[in-house]
This record gives sequence, C-alpha cells and structure tokens, in this order.
Amino acid sequence: MLNIVDLEKRWFIYKLKSYIPHLSILISLIVIISIFLAFSRASQDISQLTITPTVAPIIVKKETLPVKEPVQATPKAVVKIEPVEVLKQEPQLLHDNNRVKLSPSLGFMRKMQGSVQPYYKNDLEYKGQVQEQAPAPITEVVEQEVIVPLSTLEAEPEVKKISIKRQNTQNDIYEIIARFKKNNNPALSLFVAKKYYELEDYQQAYNYALITNKINKEIESSWIIFTKSLVKLGKRDKAITTLEQYIKQSHSSGARILLDEIYAGKFK
Amino acid sequence: MNSIFVNSKDVFLDIVNAKDYIQLDRVSTIYQALKNSIKKPLKMILLYGKPGTGKSMFLNKLHKDLSSSQKVYLYQTPILDESEFYKTLAQDLFETKYSGELNFTQFMKIVKSQDNEEIPVVLLDEAQLYSEVLMEKIRLLSDTRTVKFVITLHKTEKEDIIAKEHFQTRIWETIELENASSGELKIYIQKKLMKANCFDSANMFTNKSVNKIHKITNGNYRDTNKLLYTLFDLYAAYERNQQLSSVKTDQVSNKLIEMSAIHTGLIHA
Repeated sequence: MLNIVDLEKRWFIYKLKSYIPHLSILISLIVIISIFLAFSRASQDISQLTITPTVAPIIVKKETLPVKEPVQATPKAVVKIEPVEVLKQEPQLLHDNNRVKLSPSLGFMRKMQGSVQPYYKNDLEYKGQVQEQAPAPITEVVEQEVIVPLSTLEAEPEVKKISIKRQNTQNDIYEIIARFKKNNNPALSLFVAKKYYELEDYQQAYNYALITNKINKEIESSWIIFTKSLVKLGKRDKAITTLEQYIKQSHSSGARILLDEIYAGKFK
Repeated sequence: MNSIFVNSKDVFLDIVNAKDYIQLDRVSTIYQALKNSIKKPLKMILLYGKPGTGKSMFLNKLHKDLSSSQKVYLYQTPILDESEFYKTLAQDLFETKYSGELNFTQFMKIVKSQDNEEIPVVLLDEAQLYSEVLMEKIRLLSDTRTVKFVITLHKTEKEDIIAKEHFQTRIWETIELENASSGELKIYIQKKLMKANCFDSANMFTNKSVNKIHKITNGNYRDTNKLLYTLFDLYAAYERNQQLSSVKTDQVSNKLIEMSAIHTGLIHA
C-alpha cells in the first residue's frame, strides 16, 4: 500500500533540491551581472575623469594663441608702442615712399592645415578672421624691428628702414596645391589661381581657375580669374564668349563689368 | 469493476511471459536475426545485454515460437549443480533417466549414443550464474554439434571477460540487446497498454511524459515496467482517496512520475 502523504513530502523535498542548481546559477548570474555593471560604471567614471584633463590643455592653448602675450611682454619696454604706430602707418607709406612693399602673408594658410577644411564660404569667413587678427603678425614683425632701432634709432634716426621680408610665396602656393590635391577644395584651387594671377603666371592661373570651375561652376571670382587669364594669354575672343555664356547663366554683375572693360579695351 | 488505473497497473507487472512480448522494429529485427542464427550450423549463440533489456523475454518468445517446429528446451533458472545439470539435460533431451551422480564423461557417452537427426536447442537464461568449469563443459558439449545452445549473459565487466575467454575465439553468433530509445519506449508502453485494452491510459502518454520516463529509466524495460506499475498504483490510490482532481489525468502527471521514481528508488530523494 502506497503512503501518498509521505511520498508527496519526499517529492516536495526532491523538487526543492532539484531547484538548488538552477537557483545557484541564477544567483551567480545576478552576481556576475551586478559586478560587471559596477565595473562598467567605474570604468565610465574613469573615462570621464581622463577626458577632463585632456580638455584643459586645449583651453590653455587657446589662451596662449591670442596676442595677449606679446602685449603682456611690452611692459619691458614702452618703446614697443611706437613701432606699432609706425606700422599702422605703413599702408600710407606705400603711397608716400615706394621703398616698402607690403603683400599679404600666407603664413595663416599653415594654420589652416591643422584646422577643419574650409569650404568656399568658410574661406570667406576665414578671410574675415584673418583681417581681424591681422595685427598679430604685424606685432611679431615689429618686435624684430624694434631690436634694431633700439640700438640705432637714437644714433641714426634718418636711416630708419622698415624691411619686411616676404618669404616663400611660391612655397605657400605649393603647400596649398598639395592640400588641394588631398581634399579637392575649390576654395584652395581658386586661391592658387588668384595667387598665380598675381604672380603673372597666367597659364597656371588659367589652369587652376579651370579646375575650380570644374569642381564648382558657380564661383564668380573663379570665372573672372579664368577669363582674365585668357585675356592675358591673348585669347580675348575666347574670354569674351566664356564671359557671355557665364553671364547668361548667372547674371553676374562682376562678370558683366569685366566684359564691358574687355570690350572697351580697358582690360588687356 | 476495476478502474482503468488498476487494469493499467497490472499490465506492467514484471512477469516474463511470451504472450506479453511487444513487437518493436529494432527488437523484431534482432529477433529475426536470432531465429535465422538458430537455423545455421552454429554451435552456440550468445545473447547479451544489460539487465532489463529483454533477454529473458527473447528466450521465452523464441521457445514459444520454435517449440512447435523443433526440440527446444528452456532453462530459465540456472542448474548450478553439475551432475544435476547433466541429468536434467539427459532426461529432457534424450529421455534418459539416470539415478545417482552423472559426470561429464558419462553424459558425453549418452550424447554420442544418440542418433537424432534433429539437433535439440537448449536455451540457458542467466548463464553468467554458471561456473566457469561448467561453462567450459557446455562449450565442449556444443563442439560435438549434438546440442545447440543459446545462452543469455548480463553485460557487465565480469561477463565481458567470460565472453571474451569462452566465446570470442569460437565462430559463434553474438547478439546484443540494448535499452529502448525514447520513441521505442513510447511504442512499447502504448502497445502494452492497448494490448490489455487500456486505450485511455495509452493516450495519457505524450512525448513529453515518455521523455521524462526515458530520462529516469534510461529506456530500460524492467525499470520502465517497475515505474509504470507504481505510477498507475499511485493513480489508483489517488482515485480511492478521491484526490484525482489534484493530479493530471488527461496526460501523465510529471509529479506522479517523479513520485513513482522516488518510490521505486530510481530517483534518490
């Protein structure tokens, strides 16, 4: 005769025992997961902590960039104020004395290499920034100048010469060409075209303006440089037809003025 | 009138009876192979397997099937005394009664004096219980080709050694019986129940419940019979106590399977 009550008790104990492995696995899983979560949180905290020091140096760098440092250095000699005034008059000197010839520095282009690649519009903004920051390089030059005059100004005030060496314009162009080859930014090719035009290398100016037009056919200044170069290369007719076609498409006033000048023979 | 659970319980009584033999595909193939082997001029056929794999049932079935067509003698219980063994064989096989001690030499004389065309078949169950000396003499006796032996052995390490030493050097047929697979076990249970007209009970066995039983018994027929006997005994007890509503009846309750296993010692709780 079966003792059902006793058997049920034994069965209940057996069931309880059979759940022990499952329970232990569950508990160990929970423990593992909680340890993992705690560890991941801790690692997140560490990563946040490690990020903050990296931000700090950047801020320091930004602080060092502005012209404040040279200004702070000026208390050494109040004389520095004088050259600044002299330099501010330099553009006037261009007209008064032809001895000094100023041309824009291309040094800023090197800075562009490290920064975000500017597109056409950004380039314009960048130019604006350059204009605002223009005094910075001037002061650097001035510091070099100051050293000389300090010893000589008192003795020979009449020999006062300002010689600003424009260094490596050609190298700057090559750097920009190299950068252009990397990223095909039409702003860069346009800059090169303009630069070559200024250097009177009209063939190269034509080439780079053409490249710029191929990349972006809506840049007015590129078409203008292109047609100007054509005129300079003796291809006046081609320049006229190009301009006419461009005016038809874009209704560019700049192109219209240039076309009128070419027709009138003002631009040769 | 007995309930279906009581009737079902009786189906699984552990009795070796040829009429309870259940035809399974794999088992049938083996059985047919055994029958064919007996027709061959083999001296001895070894039937081995773990306890509860149906060796005894095989011998019973074989005895029942062959007894109508040829001389077959089944010895389910081993005759451990050597003289008694020879005397029994002499009497059964050759109808020679012998009073007093009968040794192997005397028995061999009797055997050789017989001129029977038909070779008698002797079925020896639980042959692992015979002494090694007697087993050697049985082998010598079978070498005379005057008696054909079919013996069953439990497949344990010890019996393996016996088999290796005494049988493997001879050209004898060896047939191994194995435990049932889960599918075979389901067929076995259902066929057994349906044979006894317990159709409702047979329908209670789903694949899930049979898998559970198979997991507990490892497909061993004897253990399965034991387990199912207790299972239906439990059902009957619940029925008597009017607690049947507390357990599943549309299919076999896992709880009752486990309880039966605990009761029969198949699960150690």
